[in-house]
Amino acid sequence: MDFLSFLGDNLATFWTYTAFANFTWGHIIMLFVGLLFIYLAIAKEFEPMLLIPIGFGILIGNIPFKDAGLQLGIYEQGSVLNTLYQGVTSGWYPPLIFLGIGAMTDFSALISNPKLMLIGAAAQFGIFGAYIIALTMGFEPNQAGAIGIIGGADGPTAIFLSSKLAPNLMGAIAISAYSYMALVPVIQPPVMRLLTTKKERLIRMKPPRVVSQTEKIMFPIFGLLLTCFLVPSGLPLLGMLFFGNLLKESGVTRRLAETARGPLIDIVTILLGVTVGASTQATQFLTLASVKIFALGALSFVIATAAGILFVKFFNLFLGKNNKINPLIGNSGVSAVPDSARISQTVGLEYDPTNYLLMHAMGPNVAGVIGSAVAAGVLLGFLG
Amino acid sequence: MRQRLIFIGLLLFAAIGADAQRTSSLKINEILVINQDNYQDDYGNKSPWIEIYNASPGTVNIAGCYLTNDPSNPKKYMIPKGDVLTKISPWQHILFWADGQHSRGTFHLNFALDSIGENYIALYDSDGHTLIDEVTVPAGNLPNRSYGLVEDGWTQAKLDEAIRLNSRYKDGSQLWVYFDDTVADGRYVTPSSNNKILDTNEKIENFKENDAQGAGMTLTAMGVVFSGLLLLFLIFKLIGNIAVYSSHRRAMKASGLSKEEAKGIAQQSGDMYAAIAMAIYEATELHDEEHTILTIKRSVSSYSPWSSKIYTLRETPIKK
Repeated sequence: MDFLSFLGDNLATFWTYTAFANFTWGHIIMLFVGLLFIYLAIAKEFEPMLLIPIGFGILIGNIPFKDAGLQLGIYEQGSVLNTLYQGVTSGWYPPLIFLGIGAMTDFSALISNPKLMLIGAAAQFGIFGAYIIALTMGFEPNQAGAIGIIGGADGPTAIFLSSKLAPNLMGAIAISAYSYMALVPVIQPPVMRLLTTKKERLIRMKPPRVVSQTEKIMFPIFGLLLTCFLVPSGLPLLGMLFFGNLLKESGVTRRLAETARGPLIDIVTILLGVTVGASTQATQFLTLASVKIFALGALSFVIATAAGILFVKFFNLFLGKNNKINPLIGNSGVSAVPDSARISQTVGLEYDPTNYLLMHAMGPNVAGVIGSAVAAGVLLGFLG
Repeated sequence: MRQRLIFIGLLLFAAIGADAQRTSSLKINEILVINQDNYQDDYGNKSPWIEIYNASPGTVNIAGCYLTNDPSNPKKYMIPKGDVLTKISPWQHILFWADGQHSRGTFHLNFALDSIGENYIALYDSDGHTLIDEVTVPAGNLPNRSYGLVEDGWTQAKLDEAIRLNSRYKDGSQLWVYFDDTVADGRYVTPSSNNKILDTNEKIENFKENDAQGAGMTLTAMGVVFSGLLLLFLIFKLIGNIAVYSSHRRAMKASGLSKEEAKGIAQQSGDMYAAIAMAIYEATELHDEEHTILTIKRSVSSYSPWSSKIYTLRETPIKK
């Protein structure tokens, strides 16, 4: 073999290792999906903290390569991406994110008006509406449960539950959950307008009372004991959520609370986002099941929003004239914190520029986080 | 002294918690007394065997524990230490050969089983007197027929619960049963493997059969979600009322207000106090007209609390 043909053979071999030689149309489609996520995050500012890592993760995960045991892909045991992905598959990223959420959440609105908790419960109908529809579409009960949790509008919960109930669908479920959380400003307002009258939208709620520190400290302790005695399978998520909140409210662990709601949650969000994005390899992701999951995800958000609003209207039948709840905060039982509460505020201001609903909406919003974690615990208990 | 007591208390608490995943979760799981054509050891011998099961979610090291077939001699065979294979993974098994040839290694016992009479077998903890589990294999064993728990690590309470839940077990089901490959009852001799081979997910099958539409799941799960948050609502309604009541009392005590006046103060929101404070400020602080610009300036700080002594060294709480 002369030197030139040796070089030629080497180049030909090298070519087989490049992405150009290995790409499929599936990879191209997924690369465009990743670019779309990045575009939405930067140009439209839809959940940039999530969509940038996920979008870039999709790019990382969809650069094709020759399967030569080089430990490159996220599904190859021992690869760097696979090691980082363990936090998703073993389900320990989501509880750490919940720790941070707990450390940054002020439950005052909920404590001062605890009846708002029930709105957070009602919105969980989205989960089970999607569960029922998923069953009729032919999914197994465990898969339907994992898909239904998209309606909880809580990315970490969706990842946690799907990693336990239907690991093969986790990529599609996570992407769907985060996408629709980003699209809350598009999905919810039409449903809110459709289901409320002009008179209802103008309801002014009593301002929340001042909540003492003792009450704030008692909330995570009682919250943990009551919810986890009822649903121990929700312990990883609820335990960390309430623990984080106690760090915040105790007043003596400021450093820990700041770490949990700052550097820790940022690090885990980056790792979670990029690995979930990278897990959407076209060969694994582009299936009919993924399309169905996306359709079900949208439906579950609509059902959850509608259930929250209708529940408030129903609840108002039993409340005194001065204690009525504005049904525009019903949507915020969907626990996309704080986006859905912001939607309540924005839509409310359209009809009365001096009616500020944000503080009231934060109550059901954080109750929705608890409610969706409880619902995930129930699904895990029944189907896990 | 008090600190010491708290420390000892915490230590005891931790020890009790740790014990839950120690040797106490080991179970004698399956025994084959007459081994003619069954599993063979690394020497190619077919000897009687005893299977131990780790019924806990944590790895348990059985080294140092004792196996015996003599009730009067609990320390008959000490499972040697220093062998990594004595660690039993969660929900996994380990097999001992009852061939009376302990010189062949860790898993060969220094006693054999009686092929005619009954066999008492016990597992003792490393102290030599804490009984972990015991069983008596009835006499009259058949070749290649094992005697074991109906499902791995089960207790009578678990079987009773399964019967109560109307699962595949009915009244009269036994905890200890015979496993025989020649009888077509789905019970097979399974050394180092699950006694009950689960080829379906019972929970999922149950839902598919009884709740194909998902209505049952929806009602149950929503019931639980509502109950959980309703409980929280009730507790915090109560706590809120107590908090408001105590703030009335404080207000009454501090300012001599009547009950009704104090009630009004305690129930006001923070923004109302802010508005009142602003009004008082406007009314009492007299200023000339000033040309001011309200702006927001980004504050940049390179300071990190990780390197700060103020943050890392908290003052010892002052005892009152």
